[in-house]
Amino acid sequence: MPADASIAPKPAAGRAGFFERAQTGARDKRALGLAIGAVLCALVLPPMFFLLEGSVTIAGPGGAARFTLERFTAIFQQKGFLQSAANSFIFAAGSAALALLLGGLNAWLVERTNTPFKPLAYLTTIISMGTPYVLYVSAWLLLLAKSGPINSWYRQVTGSSDVLINVYGLPGMILVEGLLWSPLVFLLLGATLRNFNPELEEAARMSGAGAWDTLRRITFRLSLPSILALSMLVFIRALEAFEVPALVGLPGRVHVLTTDIYDTMHLTMPPDLGSASALSVLLLIVVSILLYFYGRMTRSAERFATITGKSFRPGRLDLGIWRVPAACALILNFTLLLVLPAIILLWASLLPFYTTFSWAAYARVTSVNYQNVFQSSRYLSLLANTLVIAVVAATAVMLIASLTAWLTVRKAPGAKLLDQLATAPLVFPGIVLGVGVMQLFLNLPIGLYGTIWIIVWAFVINYMPYGVRYSFAGMLQVHRELEEAAAVSGAAPLTGFRRIVLPLLSPSLIAGWLFIFLLATRVLSLPVLLSGPSSQTMAVAMFDLWGNGQGPELAALGLLWSLAMTCIAVTFYAVARRSGAGIHGQG
Amino acid sequence: MPQRRLHQALAAAAIVLSFWAQGARAAGPALIEAARKEGRVVWYTTQIINQFARPAAEAFEKKYGVKVDYVRTDSNDVALRMLNEGRAGRVQADVFDGTSAAARLRKENLVAQWAPDTGGRLPANAIDPGGYWIATNLYVLTPGINTDLVPKGSEPRTFDDLLNPKWNGRIAWNSSATPSGAGGFIGTVLTEMGEDNGRAYLKKLAGQDIAGLQTAARQVLDQVIAGEYAMALNIFNNHAVISANKGAPAAWIAMSPAMTIFSVVSLAKDAPHPNAGKLLIEFLVSEEGQKLYRDADYMPIDPAVAPREPALRPDGGKFRAAAFTPEEIEMRMPKWSAIYKELFR
Repeated sequence: MPADASIAPKPAAGRAGFFERAQTGARDKRALGLAIGAVLCALVLPPMFFLLEGSVTIAGPGGAARFTLERFTAIFQQKGFLQSAANSFIFAAGSAALALLLGGLNAWLVERTNTPFKPLAYLTTIISMGTPYVLYVSAWLLLLAKSGPINSWYRQVTGSSDVLINVYGLPGMILVEGLLWSPLVFLLLGATLRNFNPELEEAARMSGAGAWDTLRRITFRLSLPSILALSMLVFIRALEAFEVPALVGLPGRVHVLTTDIYDTMHLTMPPDLGSASALSVLLLIVVSILLYFYGRMTRSAERFATITGKSFRPGRLDLGIWRVPAACALILNFTLLLVLPAIILLWASLLPFYTTFSWAAYARVTSVNYQNVFQSSRYLSLLANTLVIAVVAATAVMLIASLTAWLTVRKAPGAKLLDQLATAPLVFPGIVLGVGVMQLFLNLPIGLYGTIWIIVWAFVINYMPYGVRYSFAGMLQVHRELEEAAAVSGAAPLTGFRRIVLPLLSPSLIAGWLFIFLLATRVLSLPVLLSGPSSQTMAVAMFDLWGNGQGPELAALGLLWSLAMTCIAVTFYAVARRSGAGIHGQG
Repeated sequence: MPQRRLHQALAAAAIVLSFWAQGARAAGPALIEAARKEGRVVWYTTQIINQFARPAAEAFEKKYGVKVDYVRTDSNDVALRMLNEGRAGRVQADVFDGTSAAARLRKENLVAQWAPDTGGRLPANAIDPGGYWIATNLYVLTPGINTDLVPKGSEPRTFDDLLNPKWNGRIAWNSSATPSGAGGFIGTVLTEMGEDNGRAYLKKLAGQDIAGLQTAARQVLDQVIAGEYAMALNIFNNHAVISANKGAPAAWIAMSPAMTIFSVVSLAKDAPHPNAGKLLIEFLVSEEGQKLYRDADYMPIDPAVAPREPALRPDGGKFRAAAFTPEEIEMRMPKWSAIYKELFR
């Protein structure tokens, strides 16, 4: 009986021989790896199965499925396929580069220098991450549109009927997508840079290197794994992005692979998921190749470990006179990512219907949109559903992801497979994943279909890659010597993980949790497909407003929502900062 | 041979009779009682929540004490959910609506054959002869303009007017294969002009550099109101009226012919709450339900409930209609959207 087992004396770890302990340690790790592997398989394989099955089968006249490759040939024969593929790559590469540049610059300034206005960067990031996607993209579109304030003023000043900026095209797409992703880069690179051992930078400076050389040859080199991981993440996500290509690219006739697939899907009723699946399989192949090279680059993780057993206090570079341009950069970032979108959304939320700034429009200003939001009792139950889903999903992801990253970096047997499983969901476009999860729960004999738990399930799959990248970036820095010290002192591997790795990882984990939590509260596509009559979420309400000409009410609801999310995020971040600082003795 | 035909005719008559009988039996207190016992009804709807779904649900709950759980998505998602749930034998919806989902889903045997007895109040073509759907309201698809950008008198009046170079780069439409998108407009042109002339016209129209947006017709109109484009093709004409009533610079153009389609509602086969579902459908086409459509500035199907703006309807005398049934849309849309891809992408 279990009761007896708990009373039975445990072999005292401290008294057992070192060799014995190492053996049990390896066994524990293997068991843990198997358990995590089973969970990941259950999460990832069913939608993967539906994806593959859907891409190579077609329903015959009698309902029986038959094997076919015609979806793939159709994709390759599609008019302009090569052009779309080229556009996709340019768009993804450009967005990744821009996001890394902006986010990386901010992260370096904030974490490694003594620039003023640091809190501004956090504020910008947190608020922008709490803002629903659709709201953000529309805000920038409103600013940059042909009829937007910038072009209107240009026409007024010059008397021309032309436009100064035409946002509808590849440069506009890259700009908006790059801005969207820069907060993620800031958060993740920031976590890496914060844990940086400054001895190396100091050594470089003492050897006569200037600030630029130190940045280029030490800081940049040591951050390379994080930078590579992030580039890959943003690149792949941009490759699969749909909102920005659809809203910014298509009006200018720039087609990418995802908008092509959307086209294909909307030529039939119901959507032709087979074609979408076929494209996803192609993406899967591309992403697998990218992952392979990434794996090779980060193979020798120790080269990049910067948290070692030696104690240190991260020092900061004195910018001197360069503090002024640094401050300007942070203020510009704050204006671009926060102030301008907020102003235009505020303006939109006060109008009965959207038009650009003018005195005539000013006369129509009304609070009716806010009244609608506050009077609708429906939003309260949606709020509760949304928060439960986001908290549970973020917690589950970070738990599984941190263990996966730990096993992978410490090269536990089969850990490579775990990493690949956890990263695989990157290839699912939202709708394909949604349908996969829907099929799974419809065919399972348990009654979860139509509840919030299937949305949680889909979110856990969808966000697992982010969780793993966050954990991974932090994990790469933690040198194994700390755990070895714990093991020598008699700790089991899981104890080492819990008491050494987890606390050291906490800045990365908390940042990741926060990121996933906020993402889960603002992403539209999955809940819209999966929510049943009693599991509606905020996203569904926003999608409805968005799709039905209620942009001003969406702006009002979205602003209030972002405000609420920001409060949560700020509280959370404050807690996280304190715990992170505690680890490094910054007090 | 003649005997087989006689059998077929008799069988058809029997089916029709059974509908009448069902319809007659279903009405009245017995249905209400049965619906109350079921307690709730699940409605997959394409109707906008604020404008119609919520007011209708509240009115229904108040009247019958039966709770309405609505799930709002677009037609594609309604069809997708119904298909997946139906195939897995887990039907969730009792009632669903849309413009062509019913035609698609009846092929999959997912739609119940039931239509309420309206006592001849509705036009004959508003009820599917097979009993698969009943129309609730009428949609009319026309161009819509920004009245600030298109001065009075300079609006295009005919299809040929749309080819005027002054519209180059100033027109937008929804690129999807739906009646309210490019597909619908192409269908109207081909039906009106015939295959060859229609195609020749569309080729010229493609030279106008029309922006194909992957957003709903309602949002295309919003972009026109915001001044991004001067004109939208194939919007719901009542949307322009709703916006104009709020003071927006929006108007619709009575261009002939205009595509007219029904928004139809159906009972799901194996619905978990069939009686509550029937009661909801009865309510939507009842005079009371029809007035809710009218009050939301939609066009009720009941001729006795006139829309607030009578000119919106084809019998308002301002334009000629090209009417399509859900089945026709379902059947011909693939071809129309193929032409879109070929000429306009």
